[in-house]
Amino acid sequence: MTAVTLIHGLNLAAIYGLMAIGISILWSSVGMINMAHGATFAASGYAAWQVSLIAQPLINTWFGTGLDASLVMGATMVASGLVAGALFGGLIFMLAYLPIHEKANFAVRSLIVTLAINLATVQLLLFFFGPRQRALPKIFGFGRTEILGISVRNDQIGTIVATAILMLVVVIWLKRSRKGLEITAMMQNPEGAVLSGISVRWTALPVTMLTGALAGLAAILLSQTVFVSPTAGALPLIKGLTIALLGGLGSLPGAIMGAILIGFLEAIVGSISFLGQRYVLFSQFLFIITVLIIRPRGLGGLLDETRESRNV
Amino acid sequence: MVHEILKIEGLSAGYGPLRVLHEIDFSVNEGERIGLVGLNGHGKSTLMRSVMSLVGWQNGSIKIKGQEIGGARSTGAGRRTHAIVQMGVALTPQGDAIFPGMTVAQHLDCGAYSKIAWRERAKRRDAVMDIFPPLRKLETALVGTLSGGERRMVSVGRALMTEASLYLIDEPSLGLAPKISRSVLDALFSLPREGKAMVIAEQNVALLAGKVDRMVGMHAGRLRGDVGHVALS
Amino acid sequence: MSEMKKLYEIGNRPREVFLSPDGHRPVHKSRVPFSRRHWLKWRSQYNPRSLKLEKRLADKKPLWWLLSLGLLAVVTPFLSNSAITVASIFCMFAAINVLWTLIIGTAGIFSLATLAVVGVSGYAAAAFNVYLGVPWPFMFAIGCLTGLVAGGFLALPSTRLDGLYFALLTLGIVEICRVFVQQLKSLGATNGSINQVDSFIPSDWFLQREGLLLGFAGAFLLLLGALLMFKLVNSERLGMLLRTARDEEAFAEAIGIDYRRARLMVFMVSSAGLGIIGAFYAMYYRSISPSIFSLDQLLLLFAMIVIGGIGRADGAVIGTAIVVLIDKGLLDLGPIRILLVAAIMLLVTLLTNNGLVGARDQFRNFRNRKKSEARARRTEKGGEVMPEEATDMLDKQEIFYRRFNKRLRDELKQLITPELIEEHRAKPLGRHSDALSRVLNYFRRSEMPDKYAIMRQPENFNHYKIVALSGERGAPPRLVDDRLYESLDEAYHAVFLLRVNDLLES
Repeated sequence: MTAVTLIHGLNLAAIYGLMAIGISILWSSVGMINMAHGATFAASGYAAWQVSLIAQPLINTWFGTGLDASLVMGATMVASGLVAGALFGGLIFMLAYLPIHEKANFAVRSLIVTLAINLATVQLLLFFFGPRQRALPKIFGFGRTEILGISVRNDQIGTIVATAILMLVVVIWLKRSRKGLEITAMMQNPEGAVLSGISVRWTALPVTMLTGALAGLAAILLSQTVFVSPTAGALPLIKGLTIALLGGLGSLPGAIMGAILIGFLEAIVGSISFLGQRYVLFSQFLFIITVLIIRPRGLGGLLDETRESRNV
Repeated sequence: MVHEILKIEGLSAGYGPLRVLHEIDFSVNEGERIGLVGLNGHGKSTLMRSVMSLVGWQNGSIKIKGQEIGGARSTGAGRRTHAIVQMGVALTPQGDAIFPGMTVAQHLDCGAYSKIAWRERAKRRDAVMDIFPPLRKLETALVGTLSGGERRMVSVGRALMTEASLYLIDEPSLGLAPKISRSVLDALFSLPREGKAMVIAEQNVALLAGKVDRMVGMHAGRLRGDVGHVALS
Repeated sequence: MSEMKKLYEIGNRPREVFLSPDGHRPVHKSRVPFSRRHWLKWRSQYNPRSLKLEKRLADKKPLWWLLSLGLLAVVTPFLSNSAITVASIFCMFAAINVLWTLIIGTAGIFSLATLAVVGVSGYAAAAFNVYLGVPWPFMFAIGCLTGLVAGGFLALPSTRLDGLYFALLTLGIVEICRVFVQQLKSLGATNGSINQVDSFIPSDWFLQREGLLLGFAGAFLLLLGALLMFKLVNSERLGMLLRTARDEEAFAEAIGIDYRRARLMVFMVSSAGLGIIGAFYAMYYRSISPSIFSLDQLLLLFAMIVIGGIGRADGAVIGTAIVVLIDKGLLDLGPIRILLVAAIMLLVTLLTNNGLVGARDQFRNFRNRKKSEARARRTEKGGEVMPEEATDMLDKQEIFYRRFNKRLRDELKQLITPELIEEHRAKPLGRHSDALSRVLNYFRRSEMPDKYAIMRQPENFNHYKIVALSGERGAPPRLVDDRLYESLDEAYHAVFLLRVNDLLES
């Protein structure tokens, strides 16, 4: 395995990890499979593109075209992606959680509702922006940097570092803060949470917004290499879902581990000449299916078991 | 003038077509300790849960320190509970409605969820550990791995962590060995009374005898014993 | 007779289907050939009023099926060419959805790979036809076999994985199929599709009116076949086993139902059916393309069964009708169509528990819940009768009598004061105040069981004890307590106090 493959794998792992973690957190705390995660992805991409169109001339007039300008541009992109993702997460909360969370069969229902949101969003994006692909401004520039004797693209470093930092923050936040405790409490026992003064209805809002923001960030980072299009969310959604599945739905370490495995698998299979890019998806799914048949709860899926044991 | 913490008037509650409580009038004063006794299935838990707005439907007035939290409601059980908790009512539910995957310390912190209590959670945790000394060395153990008595202590302790003026304790002795249940109850009775009130639901009258100010019976969804009787003599 | 008719027009009776058979002749019911089933569910009963024999149709669904399918078959040949195409597509998708319902509803396997099975078998059948020259009638058999094999492969992980896990996994499998077909080198020239497939529609009829009609006829037969298969699997032994096992897997296992095997059977059988549909699909369009594996197509199909309601054949058909009409019938609307479908899907999921066909039951449940809640609340306004009890009571007058009695007692409770008791103590007999006479009147009217009486002690003339009558002939009264009363007045007053206590406790 060459160093380039390693970096490429890490880069992919970072983006998939962002998607998978969002799906996993939402499932573990709210009990909802978010099929609109891909829609969040696409919508945030478009929001960032729209913002970049408006902000580009402003930034150019204020900061010129130097390093300052590209830094400010990068910050604007990331911020707009995060905000758009969070807002979209809020929308998902309003439509797919609030009206049905007290009704029977919530897991399947919310899955259907989020599917409908996904369908509608893709069509709306097609309707307003057309099927043309758009390119986001490169926030990390085009350059390459030498790290330990390896020449690496700037956007790859940026993606890996940004994701690692963000994931660390999220994990610490979930472990240490009052909100994190609130989310854990709700996930383990909704009635107990309510008796501790936690509002089950309103705890879900920050969770959906957080996962939406993660998808928004993933959109900005992935759009450094891939264009933004209305259907851009489908593949990240499916990959995120399957990785979350591989990690064991609801398990954060599992999701991160799954993302790293799948990212490296993609990088390695892609770099082997006689297999090539076309067998990437194939190998990934075969790997996931094999793992799931051996371990039906995924790599780290202990959560469901604790839930079940409580219900007995 | 005695201060009324809880005042229930004409409370009926039930689940679907089933009516469990029939027009209950009940009040709790500041500093009081009340034993709510009655057999299984006569509505003790339902009364406590309806104060927390956790039953299927309910109808009637419930006032906490003069503030109305009752009214007619037939859906949305548990929607207002967090607000009621923040008004100063803490319920320890029957059995062990607890978080199996948390450590004892985390679990107790859940009780101190309100913003004011959160800041002084370490101090409160210490106070609860003084009440239930066995918990002190289990601080980092997962709640799911504890024994029944320890779990009950954690469950009751979580309620005590709350900034509450009314504690509703539902069947603290359920499923425990007599010695352990007595120690849990003794810990409860050792709490200071000022400004706080406590209602303990219990099947075993002997456990409460002489320890509470008032004993209220519950039979078939109605209160007995508290009502004025014509004395037979 | 006209009077009789008016008498019955309340409740559900006007909407029921009745026959009035001749009671003197034996009833003859024809059976479905080769089975012991009857065509329709007629139930004989006596009219509770006129006591005449009548036959009620217990299940009206077959009539609705006959009516709607008959209408479709009769009307379609007279429509325009594009409408015939829409009708054919409807039939094809309805057939797919009915079989999918069998997988999701009956077998309880949440598979999203239905279209993948259809596509894979379609591709296999088309490939055999185009590259190996197999004539078209054999394509059905090839499709069926491929479907069976694909179903078998899909079913393997279903026994290990939980519902949602399996659903997401099948989503991945669909994606694999799409990518695989698109990257097949031999299909590279046509972008992954197989064209020029031979068909049951003669090639000079293709896209002509005759061809379209033939295509519709085939699709309609396909739908009928799928419905028959649904009926055979769902309502017979296999379906019954699975319905038992759906919620209580452990229980089903304990009573000896091998639900895993039954599920696999249903899954395989449905997959074989889907394979036949796949072959038909390739023949109908004379080509097959990777778009059948696309996520959008899958979502549209999913929208159909969600809108109709998962688990019922009528739901699958109704949902398909709605979505196909919007998607293929309103082509002028452009991309808004899909938006409309998504909006309907959203609304149906938010508002109903199980699609449109479940709405009726849901409304009834809602109404019943409201009714019983209102009843439970009303009883606290005085009645003694609990709602569950009230529905069981045959004599409804009893309910009102008890309600009246409760109100009377509440009224009398107000009258009882220490003064009143004092008045009675001073003078148990003789003229009383208005309040006391009301109370005493009520006591005198009470029922015989447990009525108090005074018994003079046989050994001592001036000693009395209080007894309670058993109210049963031959059963002696029981002693209430051991207290001896020295005078009659004292005993009267004691009885009075006992009754007052009973009154207050009631």
